[in-house]
Amino acid sequence: MSPKSSTPSLLSPAFLNKLDRMALLAKKVKPGVSKGERKSLRKGSSIDFADYRDYVQGDDLRHIDWNIYSRLESLYIKLFEEREDLTLHLLIDASESMKFGSPSKLDMAKQLAAALGYIALAGHERVSIEAFSEHGVQRISPCRGKGSIRKLFSFIEGIESGGDTNLEKGSDRYLMRNRSRGVAVLLTDFFDDSGFEGAVQRLVLSRSEVHMMHILAPEELNPKLTGDLKLIDSETKTFAEVSMSRALLKQYEANKIGFINSVRKYCTARGVGYVQLSSDAPLETTVMHLLRGGGMVR
Amino acid sequence: MMAWLKSFTLAPQFLWFLWLLPVIVILYLLKLRRTEAVISSTMLWMKSLQDLTANSPFQKLRKNLLLLLQLLIILLAVFALARPYAKMEGLSGSHYCLVIDHSASMQTLEGEDGKTRLELAKEKALELIDNLERGDKAMVVSFSENAEVKCEMTDDDYRLRAAINSIEPHDTRSNIRDVMMMAASLSPDNPDIPSTMPDLQLILLSDGQITDLEDIGARARDVVFQKIGETSYNAGVVALSMRENDSQDEMHQTLVSLYNAHFEVIETTLTLYLNDSAIGVEEVQLAPEGMTDTVFQHPDFQEGMMRVELDLDDRLAVDNQAWMTIQPAQVIKVLLVSDTNSSNSFYLKRALGVISDVELSEMSPSAYQTIEGYDLTIFDGFAPEILPQGSSVYINAFPKLEGLLPGEVIEAPPILGVDRKHPVMRYLSPENVGIGSATQFAVPPGSFELMTTNGTPLIADVSRNARQLLIIGFDISDSDWPLKLSFPLFMQNVVNWVPRTSTSAQQFVQSGTPIEFAAQDNESELSIKKPDGITSNIVVAPTHPVYYGDTALVGAYSVSQGESRYSIAVNLSSIEESNIKPSDTLSFGRGTIQATQKPLRTTREFWPILVLIALIILQFEWWIYSKRAWI
Repeated sequence: MSPKSSTPSLLSPAFLNKLDRMALLAKKVKPGVSKGERKSLRKGSSIDFADYRDYVQGDDLRHIDWNIYSRLESLYIKLFEEREDLTLHLLIDASESMKFGSPSKLDMAKQLAAALGYIALAGHERVSIEAFSEHGVQRISPCRGKGSIRKLFSFIEGIESGGDTNLEKGSDRYLMRNRSRGVAVLLTDFFDDSGFEGAVQRLVLSRSEVHMMHILAPEELNPKLTGDLKLIDSETKTFAEVSMSRALLKQYEANKIGFINSVRKYCTARGVGYVQLSSDAPLETTVMHLLRGGGMVR
Repeated sequence: MMAWLKSFTLAPQFLWFLWLLPVIVILYLLKLRRTEAVISSTMLWMKSLQDLTANSPFQKLRKNLLLLLQLLIILLAVFALARPYAKMEGLSGSHYCLVIDHSASMQTLEGEDGKTRLELAKEKALELIDNLERGDKAMVVSFSENAEVKCEMTDDDYRLRAAINSIEPHDTRSNIRDVMMMAASLSPDNPDIPSTMPDLQLILLSDGQITDLEDIGARARDVVFQKIGETSYNAGVVALSMRENDSQDEMHQTLVSLYNAHFEVIETTLTLYLNDSAIGVEEVQLAPEGMTDTVFQHPDFQEGMMRVELDLDDRLAVDNQAWMTIQPAQVIKVLLVSDTNSSNSFYLKRALGVISDVELSEMSPSAYQTIEGYDLTIFDGFAPEILPQGSSVYINAFPKLEGLLPGEVIEAPPILGVDRKHPVMRYLSPENVGIGSATQFAVPPGSFELMTTNGTPLIADVSRNARQLLIIGFDISDSDWPLKLSFPLFMQNVVNWVPRTSTSAQQFVQSGTPIEFAAQDNESELSIKKPDGITSNIVVAPTHPVYYGDTALVGAYSVSQGESRYSIAVNLSSIEESNIKPSDTLSFGRGTIQATQKPLRTTREFWPILVLIALIILQFEWWIYSKRAWI
């Protein structure tokens, strides 16, 4: 249950190699801010021909297809496909509760964020990342290109947990600053006394493609507590006096499943991707199978 | 609730410790030392707790095994302190006096396996000993003619069992007086002795055929009467006597009284033996639950041992035979001091004359002077200054004796009471005798009033030391008594009552009663051979008679005293013992108790079991605590 004292190096080089072959999958292609590698719905200025259209006054003369004009004596504008980038919004819940678990939930969140960020940067996407809690917000300016990987990783490694969770407020604050649509991924344990629904709602309304990564520690999934205990909440400091019994553990199990299902149900009903994983799950498998299966990467 | 709990505990005051239960719960809730554990979020736990406690407010307690076990241990410990008990077979109380009847009727065979009542009683007694609790004490008393403490109050099971097993049957009557007197001295209500046994319980194992029951003023509630036996199939000889035949000279009659205890007529034969040769056989039909008399006619045999035997395979064998010694008539010297021409003299001479062994002399009062050598002196209307040697009877005369105070003359006193247990009044029914007048008199303490009218005796036995004295307070010629049959019988009884120089003159002795031996010619040693062949030697002092008490067996006892050899017959001859039908009630002087054949109920404490369970639970609780096995 104790938080890990040091964060291991985020990702191994071999794993990074595998990530190179992956790319973010956005079902709805979102317009980006910068020209990027991603084919845009808009017609743009890339070298790939897209279509013709009639010339109208004011069009750039450089785009007139003079060969067509010589044959048909009509002015046609040659249209090219627009290449745009995609913004990956990584929102990490850095509240006190994320510190728990072995390995801690925050470590898992960091590694996942690093993996997704790496895939995005390798695919010339923009990555915007922020770790938040009631304690404060940790962020860097959005980065782009493989050259930013070091910057991204060092930020991720430096994320510290602390403070209460308020997912809705955190999401709200982030969306105020980052209006670009894209793929939004929230990595959290959803232990928010004020409820998780608001945060999901806000992210959906931002018209980004939203994914929820529900990280729970193995101690939370299968508690090994015995005896008469005074359980103290790491964030709110409220306590629950429990005498462990089979009935209580059974009840906890039922409530845990109910909690996970309620989050899953809420997300899927709103077209939000939902993945629940344990903090001790092997990262490679998680990324390869769970995220790929969840339609986040390909 | 408390009342209910108190109903089966011996120390209910300890039940107040039950307040420890809520204390434990409160302490448990207040002082439960919980290990603090910081977890990421209590969200799910809170919800789980709420869900659980919503179902049952005591869920937390119910599921808490340790608390429950502790409560259970306290509960068991408190109940163990309160000494709970259950009704079980056995005894109640903690001091018991086992009184076992080993009289003749207890030799009755019961059931198919032919165990005697005594064996059954002993089995029952051993069973009761087995049921004794730790700390209980018991004593064993056996009784027949006399009571004997076989084992004093002890908690030693081994000694108690040995004492019970050592009880042997006796061919005697059962007298419970000694037992009752002993019990009364131990009883908690005895005002004289502070009792150390406040809960003494007397358990009487008997068939209820006890001779002296009505004399006893015991309180019935002190006694638990365990009735032993069921059968009633028995007939026995209860009386045997021989006399001259009035009508036929030289012929004698042997009168045999038989008792049938059974509810049906028993037909059998009765055989008369003289020195083991049969001399007569009679077919007898014994009326149910009553007496039947049979008479044998035979010549005068002068000397020998007579025996009658009932040819019957009944349940009690000891009363099927009776013995009687025949001795040449021993002369009793009787001196009649009376006016020789009076009617009294006539009646007395006539009555005494038919008694075969009386040698009668007569003397007028004026001529009387103290003469030695008479066994019995009868004074009629005259009392000498000095009492004569031997026994004496005073008719309407009062010798100078301390405490004997003659009073006024009363007219026509009715006869209101007769003490038929006294040998002199035995077999008499003089109630219809009319008396003209009698002199009132007061008797010294220790005397027996044999015939009484309103507040005064008519005949009294005022015997002093070895001298037997009989006072008749009226003139016999002033009554119609000499004309009644009871008068010659009375005189016969008086003659029989006079001590003989040798006991062998008696026809038989009742079993259990001592035989008196007097020294003969300074011969100081005599040997007695019992019917079972055991011989014992006793020394007879020349000045005092010696009593031989080992007469528990019926049969012929051979005595050799110096040169002389003779036999003494010892018979049971008791209707109470021959009537083997067990009595359902015992009627004491002051109450009646019902017999019980069911096993006695008692309490058996089970606090050791509770303590054991509590210890096991304690171990279990510790194991749970150390292992946290189930939570």
